[in-house]
Formats: sequence, structure tokens, C-alpha cells
Amino acid sequence: MLGLKKFLFKGATPANLPADVRAALEAWRVTPAAALDDIHFHTRYVVVEITSSGFKPESDELLSIAASSVRQSTILPDDAFFVEFSAQKEDAAVDRQLMAFLQFAAKCPMVTYNVPYVGGFLQRAFKERLGVDFEPQWVDLAWLLPAMFSERGTSIMPLDHWIEAFGLDAGNGRRNAMENTLMLARVFQMLLVRAVGKQIDTAAHLLDESRASSFLRRNH
Amino acid sequence: MKMSQEAPQQMPESQDSQAVAQMETMLRQEGRSRVAGNTLAFLKDHAPFNKMTLEARQLFAEKAQIVFYPTGNEIVGPDSGNVRFFYLIESGKVQARQAGEVTVTEYSILSLGAGESFPIGAVTAGRPSTNTYTAVEDTFCYQLPADDFMTLMSSSPEFNLFCTKYIASLLDQSRRQLQLQFAQKASEQQTLNSPLVGIGSRSPISVPPDTPLRKALETMSEASVGSLVIAGEDRKPVGVFTRSDLLDRVVLADLPLTSPVSMAMSADPFRLEEHATAYDAMLAMASQGIRHVLVTDAEGKLTGVVSERDLFALQRVGLRQIRQAIESADNVEALQQSAADVRQLSFNMLAQGVGAEQLTQFISALNDALTRRVIQLNLENHNFDGIEWAWLAFGSEGRDEQTFSTDQDNGIVFASPDSAAVDTLRQRFLAFALDVNNGLDRCGFPLCKGNIMASNPQWCLSLNEWKNQFANWIRMPQTDALLNATIFFDFRPLFGKAELAESMRRHLLEQAASNPMFLRAMARNALDVEPPLGKIRDFLTDLEPDHPGKIDLKKYGSRIFVDVARIYALAAGVHNTNSVQRLRIASQRLSIKSDEINAVLEGLDFIQLLRLQHQYLEGEPGTQGDNLINPDKLNELDRRILKESFRQARKIQTRLRLDYQVN
Repeated sequence: MLGLKKFLFKGATPANLPADVRAALEAWRVTPAAALDDIHFHTRYVVVEITSSGFKPESDELLSIAASSVRQSTILPDDAFFVEFSAQKEDAAVDRQLMAFLQFAAKCPMVTYNVPYVGGFLQRAFKERLGVDFEPQWVDLAWLLPAMFSERGTSIMPLDHWIEAFGLDAGNGRRNAMENTLMLARVFQMLLVRAVGKQIDTAAHLLDESRASSFLRRNH
Repeated sequence: MKMSQEAPQQMPESQDSQAVAQMETMLRQEGRSRVAGNTLAFLKDHAPFNKMTLEARQLFAEKAQIVFYPTGNEIVGPDSGNVRFFYLIESGKVQARQAGEVTVTEYSILSLGAGESFPIGAVTAGRPSTNTYTAVEDTFCYQLPADDFMTLMSSSPEFNLFCTKYIASLLDQSRRQLQLQFAQKASEQQTLNSPLVGIGSRSPISVPPDTPLRKALETMSEASVGSLVIAGEDRKPVGVFTRSDLLDRVVLADLPLTSPVSMAMSADPFRLEEHATAYDAMLAMASQGIRHVLVTDAEGKLTGVVSERDLFALQRVGLRQIRQAIESADNVEALQQSAADVRQLSFNMLAQGVGAEQLTQFISALNDALTRRVIQLNLENHNFDGIEWAWLAFGSEGRDEQTFSTDQDNGIVFASPDSAAVDTLRQRFLAFALDVNNGLDRCGFPLCKGNIMASNPQWCLSLNEWKNQFANWIRMPQTDALLNATIFFDFRPLFGKAELAESMRRHLLEQAASNPMFLRAMARNALDVEPPLGKIRDFLTDLEPDHPGKIDLKKYGSRIFVDVARIYALAAGVHNTNSVQRLRIASQRLSIKSDEINAVLEGLDFIQLLRLQHQYLEGEPGTQGDNLINPDKLNELDRRILKESFRQARKIQTRLRLDYQVN
């Protein structure tokens, strides 16, 4: 009964969470966020991409998360993450999967293409399942790329246009979530080099730049 | 309600926290395998990875990190310390540049693109790169940590072969570079490596075997040539007829001029195919005492003739002159000049790109001719008519592996029907041998410090005595016996009755085959000396207290290969004495992989070439060169290859250790 009440009351942490997830969540809440004032080489960035059943974060389903870190400007196979949510999975397992992603991300700055889409789906999932406000420090490549590589493109363009502009191999046909993540990670590696060239040499500085770029574009 | 019915709370606290951790581990594995899948898609389009097993590719894909290098950035260079990664270019362009002012490979700048990898030699050797690798376009690379690279090398034969071949190609480049250094010293010389197809007469005069002698002689006279090729209708040569045959076989033999030319020709002439080199022809002439080599196509049809004179055009110090001088020398003083010429000719050949294996054989062939002449000259004062005997060469001479500085190692075997007469006969041979030994000494083959010479009663033995001696060493492999085995089992008849030596050889192989303990003792002995590879430094240079900073390339290099070759030859019943031939033939009989043995032979060849180079370039004129080199004075690539060569020595020692279970 107590559990049901808490569930209806929508407390900060859903009462029906398995104990192990609950414990892990509590531990996660008290871990400090990663420092952002260090140089890029010393910062772990988490590049993330998702797949979903549609484009509306508020109503469509999150289907999978693919993530890879860029540490010391390097993509390491040993520091990657992939989860696919299947409809049949029991809820406790889904909760654990989401919790595992929080632990993997470890409050590091996150990188994606089009934050409203990716972040929107993640936010809803974490809110609904774990009662967590998922608000990481986002670097949005969609906005940042035209600001940093103005010689290659000056407007918001689909990712594939950027891949072509950079001369990367887009592959044949549709990329899966991890392929997309790794593509973003490569683009991000290039972006880091460009950023250092512009004296944008810490994560905090890069995040400022990302926010500024999206603000400027949306408002001017 | 379903959720609350689940009872994770019942799990003990410690297990609870593990459930999320386990999930994270699982999803990380899932992530890794998908990143690997992305890399695998690249690997399947690029050699050598596309030939590797899925397991091996998986290993690469799960460990390879992805890095980005913008245009102009150095990826790895001599100053970056020991190489930590093997790089495979995914996209972009990388330029390899020789570090320092001296170029050691044939290229000074090399451009690498997608699918190519570097720096294979350095990462294999765990040392800094010789080249500087710079991204000349925006470049993405897969970088495989050195440890994982080594794991892949040891687990994937395809990958191993790829890297080994690459290193072998470095060997080849270095050898060519070495030759270039010599070539600059002998620039007028043409190459002995040119194929026979471009040398000598392209339209040799030939007649059928049934041509009457008169007609043949008229043909020679009309064409003003000194020799004729006798060939059938199929243009396959069956003989040669020369002016000197005219005197011996026609005039003096009272052969009527109506007889067919086939009755006066030298049958079964020596032939080489068109793609053989001038060097091959030269070696054949030197070792067989012939003046013409017929050139044929792949089907054996006559296409040309190469004479000594044609080869002389390629050589300033001609083979013809040296051989003629040797054969016509009527005293030791005249032979001294020939010995100097042999040295000069060998040097020219070294400059012209002849490999160490061929060159040492060549030196041996000419030195054989010299030795034979010294023996012949001395036979004028010693008469052994009616006695079967042979002059034997031992050690490096016996193996056809002489370098520029070689002392004498020789002996005599004689047949004695009457055992009572052996000692009397011996005394006569000893007196003769002493003259020969002194003569050879004056021709530049110093007397053997260990007194392994025919003038030593110990090594002037009857056939039975030799057989007993061999059998004793094999039955009782004490230290001295094993040492003697390494010298005397490499014997080769130089003059006289070769059958005696062959009889000794058969006896030796039979004895060795029936005494496995002996080969094991030999193996243990051969493993006493190890290649001078350091654990921290590249080379151990303090093994010889009298020569700090130097490596004895004979003692710690070529001898290791030679010793192993001898054991395998004895084990496999190989009659040859030359180490390269021994290893080649024995490896076939013992089913050692040819790639493996080729890498070993490359290693031996390189060490021998360094010895030859050192002896010539560093040796004071008129003195014996040594085998001591200072590795710090080698250029970077040679150092690397020398190290690889020593590794090959270690590899073949390891094999020997396993095969004979020596611990």
C-alpha cells in the first residue's frame, strides 16, 4: 500500500523501483559532476545517439541508446555502451538498463546532434522511470558545427551533409545507432582540434560556445 | 502492481548493488561489440585483415582505438619514444619521412593512404620509429596498443606473415642501400645482376650434330668465330666445338674431316636460362673451368652464348684474367697477385649487388682454384702416383662460406690398402702438405692458429682413420669432440679423389643417425652462445671483454646459424656443407615452413653481408679484417635489421631447443 501511495504521489523517486536501482540512484545523486575546467584532453565526453519510434519525445517510444566516450581525444571500444529497449522486457530490467546508462555517463559532458530530439527522449525516459531530471551538460553539434566550421557550412544542415563536407565515409544505406554515434564521435574529434585552434580549450568553454551558438541562431 | 509484486528487496544488499553493475558491464560489452562491428566493416575490405580469421579480426576490432590527426600533425616519430601503437589508416593521407640526414631506405618520402599501416618494424621491435609519420591530410587512424599488436602477431599466422614480409622487405631495402654505398666506390662497373638475355651473342652460330667436320670448320672460318654450338633440329644444344678441340680431338686423334662434328665436340655443354644473371654465368665458369655458357629459353632452345670475354666487358678485374693467371701461374709469387685480384673482384661484385650467399660461394670458388694451383705446383716435387688421396677443406672453406679474411683449415685423406704402410704414406703426405700450407700462407691464407692443417699428423689420415675418428667423436661427445665436430664435419674435397670424401660423408651420416645422443649433445653445445640481444638496450656489446662496445658478428651471429644448420643437416641426412643449402634442404625434409626458414636465411644473409662490408671497408689494406662491429656506428635501419637478424637466430635456437629438448 505504501508503495502504491508513493507511486500515485509521484515522489522524487518512484516507489516501485527495485532496491538495487534505488541504491545505485542514491549513490549517483551524490556523486559530483565531472569537472569542466580541465583541457579537452583530460575530459571524458560521452557521445550519444538514440533511436525512437517517431520524432515526438513526449509521445513516441525510445528504442535504443548508443554511446561512446571520447577520452584523450580517442574513441575507445572499451568505453562504449549500447542498450535496446524491448517491449517484452520486465520493468525492473528497464530500470536497471537506464540506471546503467547513468552510471556509464557518470555526469560527464554529453555530445549529440540535435539536443531537443535526443535529450527530449532521454529526459522523458529518466523522469518517468527513475524520477530523475536528466539535464546533462550538452554539446549540440547541430548548432556548434556551423559556428566552428563556417568554411564548410554556415547553416543548420542534416548530419549527412556535414559528413560529406568533412569527406568522411557515410557508409551505404541507413546507419544504426552505434554507427551514428561513432560518426558523431569522429566529427567531435575534428571539432576538438578546431576548438583548441580557437583557444576554446576547456569543456566549460566549449559548452559556453555550444549554448551561444544555439542561442544566436535561434534568436537572430 | 506487477512491479510491486517483484521482490528485489529480498535480495541481500550486496547483491542488489551488483545487479546494476552487472547490467552496466553487460551493456558496455554490447557497446564494445558494436564499436568493433563498425571497425570490422572497415577491416573486411583491406589486406591483410580480410585474409585473417574472424577471431583475429575481432581481436583487432575490440582493441583498436580511433584517433584523429589534422593536416600537418606528427603522428609518431623518432622523438616520441618507443612506439606504443600500431597504426592503420582509416581515411586521409600520411607521409613517412626518413629522419636525419642520411637516407637508409630507397625512399626518402613515402605516402600512405587508407588501409596502410605503420610503423611495423618499430612496433615489432618495441623501439622508437626511424621515420617521422605526419598527417598530410585530415586523417583518422585505428591505433592498436603494442601489447595487443604482439598478441595478434602470435595468434594470427596471416598477420604474422604480413608483418614478417614487411620486415623482410626492409631487409631487402637495406641490402640494396648497402650495395649502393659500394657501387659509389666502383662506379664504372656495370651490373652483374643483368640477365643473360642482354649479354653476349644473340645469334650464335650452330650446326647440326651430323655436319661433317670440314663443313663445320668452314663455317667457323667464314664467320671468324672460335667456337660452334652443335644443336639438333629442335634447337636444343647437344655440344660445343672449339678451336682447342680441333688440335686435341681432330688433328692429334687423326679424325678424318668427313666424320660428323659430334665425334669431336664436347658433349652436354653447360647451359643457363635467359633469366639467369651474368653473375650465375661467372660462377659457373669459375667453378667448372669452362669458357662458354650456352643460353637457352625456358624450353631449352638455344638463344645465345655468353663467353668469358662478354663477362669481362662487365668486369674491370676480369674473371678470365684471374683464372688464367691462376691456372698458368708457375710459382707461388704469381699466385700472390691472383689472390689480391680475387679480393678486388669480390669487392666489385659486392658493389654490384651480389648477395652474401652468392658472394661467399664465389670467393670460395676462386679460392678453391687458387688452392688447387698451389697443390698442383707442389705435386711437381711430390709424387703420389697410384695412390688415392684427396685434399680436404674444413670449416668455412668447407662450407663455401669464406669471407675476405679466412685462415687455412685443411686436411688430407688417403686410401691405404695395407695398414702397415699407413705411417710411411703419412710421412710422405705430411712433407707435401707442409709445402702446400706454406704456399697458401704466402698467398694470403694465413696458417691456422689451431693447427688444423694437413701438415699436422692428426689431420693427415687414411680413410679408415678418418672414419674411426668420426665414429669416436660421435660415440663419445665430449667437449673436444663436439668442438672438432663443428670444424671437421663441414668437409669438402678440393683436390684429388672426391669419392674418398663421399665415403667419409656416408659414414658420418650413418653414425650420426644411429646416435641420437650425439645430436642432442651438439644441440646443447650450439645453444651455449646466444645472440647478443639486450633486455633493455638493443644489443649486448660487453660480451667480449677485450673489445668493449663491439659485437663479434661471427661468434654471436653467423656461427649460431651455422651450428644449427649443421645439426639439422646431420639429422636429415643432408650431404651439403653450405649452411644456406643445409637449412633449405633440411627444412624441406623436416617440414619446417618455408616462410619461417626464409626469414632465418635472410637474417643469416644480412649478418654475412655486414661482415663482408666490415672486412672490406674497415680492414686495413694488407691485414686481416675482423668481425667486430660497433652497432652504434650502424645506421638506424641496419641496426633494426641486425636486431631482427639476431631475433631470427634466437628463433631458430628456440626451435632447436624444442626439437632436442635442451633446457
